[in-house]
Amino acid sequence: MKDSLTLLSRLSAHPDSRCWFLAWNPTGTLLASCGGDRTIRIWGKEGDTWVCKSVLGEGHQRTVRKVAWSPCGNYLASASFDATTCIWKKKQTQFECVTTLEGHENEVKSVSWAPSGNLLATCSRDKSVWVWEVDEEDEYECVSVLNSHTQDVKHVVWHPNQELLASASYDDTVKLYREEEDDWVCCATLEGHESTVWSLAFDKSGDRLATCSDDKTVRIWRQYKPGNEQGVVCSGSDPNWKCICILSGFHTRTVYDVSWSHLTGSLATACGDDAIRVFEEDTCSDPQQPSFSMTAHMARAHSQDVNCVAWHPKEEGLLASCSDDGEIALWQYQRLE
Amino acid sequence: MAAAGLLEEDLLDAIVMADVRFHGEGYQEGFAEGSHAGITEGKCYGALHGAKVGSEIGCYYGFCSIWKSLLQNCADEKHSKKLKVLDSLLGMIQNFPYEDPTYAKLHEHLDKIRGKFKQLCSLLSVQPDFGFCNKDSELAF
Repeated sequence: MKDSLTLLSRLSAHPDSRCWFLAWNPTGTLLASCGGDRTIRIWGKEGDTWVCKSVLGEGHQRTVRKVAWSPCGNYLASASFDATTCIWKKKQTQFECVTTLEGHENEVKSVSWAPSGNLLATCSRDKSVWVWEVDEEDEYECVSVLNSHTQDVKHVVWHPNQELLASASYDDTVKLYREEEDDWVCCATLEGHESTVWSLAFDKSGDRLATCSDDKTVRIWRQYKPGNEQGVVCSGSDPNWKCICILSGFHTRTVYDVSWSHLTGSLATACGDDAIRVFEEDTCSDPQQPSFSMTAHMARAHSQDVNCVAWHPKEEGLLASCSDDGEIALWQYQRLE
Repeated sequence: MAAAGLLEEDLLDAIVMADVRFHGEGYQEGFAEGSHAGITEGKCYGALHGAKVGSEIGCYYGFCSIWKSLLQNCADEKHSKKLKVLDSLLGMIQNFPYEDPTYAKLHEHLDKIRGKFKQLCSLLSVQPDFGFCNKDSELAF
């Protein structure tokens, strides 16, 4: 089973520091990494090797926790513990910080771009989620401050094709938000995890959501719209998100990240036990109660906690991971037939 | 003879039951005193907490009023969004149920006001000094 995940390359990305997060640009030609050394690095492939194309070192005073590419691929947003979010504009091969978004009271934990590219979301240890609107002149305006969580908000991610925002928190819940009359409102709370929810990922259609937690499980949720055939009760016109599968017994420590491939449907996880795992949905399983099998388990994928996993957006089976050991690893996953 | 027997029984009964009776009386007195002390303490806490919430919202109200009078006189198109958010916040402040401390959504409502205020500060490019608002004003004992 271990042969299904092969190491392609290992990069010392943020030496003597932690590498926190990775993001592929939409075309998959560049990989952005960020770390405890307060820098963002941009990686590209030259021949068969991955090389560091640029280092974005001037933007932040403290750890850079997450990075996100705009859907057009020309902008990169970075969330930092210095309470700011920087927007970087790509100019040929260089990047220039064009805006710094302020407003959070303390550490910004995550940033995400909506599929339209007109909205940006950030979240922070100050328990709030902010939604920003971008206009044609690259001006950012705050359109809402959401105080729905009762604790540190760890991650935000947009639905792949709707203006629906999801956030994960230290309060063990996931919340979903949508626009309503010039403001944003929390339209669903997903309860079930028994500890901090660290990350979340939508599948390609956006009908299902995978969440991972400090409770060592991954949960799969499915959206049921009002009047659904299955008879799942919805309150009002909002869909109801129901947990349809729990992956437990696989991870021995906190699951820090989950990535759902929009090409193959494979689910990869990053875990505090230094391992990377890949799961596949069983082909004949009931869509209302699916079952998943672990198809790859790379123990000691890194020498310390694995913080992030990211499937390549265009190349099937290419997976990037990064760790507290400061390294990035690139893997080829071979689907078992 | 029968009457004396009854009296004797009463006396005996009173002695045997004294323990229970005093226990009961003591409980009643203690309960009354405890209730009284509790109500006093609760009133103090309520007044203190209510004053904090009131002063926080009052601060937002004053902030909004000043900015509104500053902005509404300039016809600049750019300010329309700021004014819209200002009006929305003023509306939330006006609809806050000040008279009803048992309002179940009090904190939810308060959190929305705080969020709106932060959004407004961001739009106005004003750095709010969060020191004046008690961030942990959830009821705590």
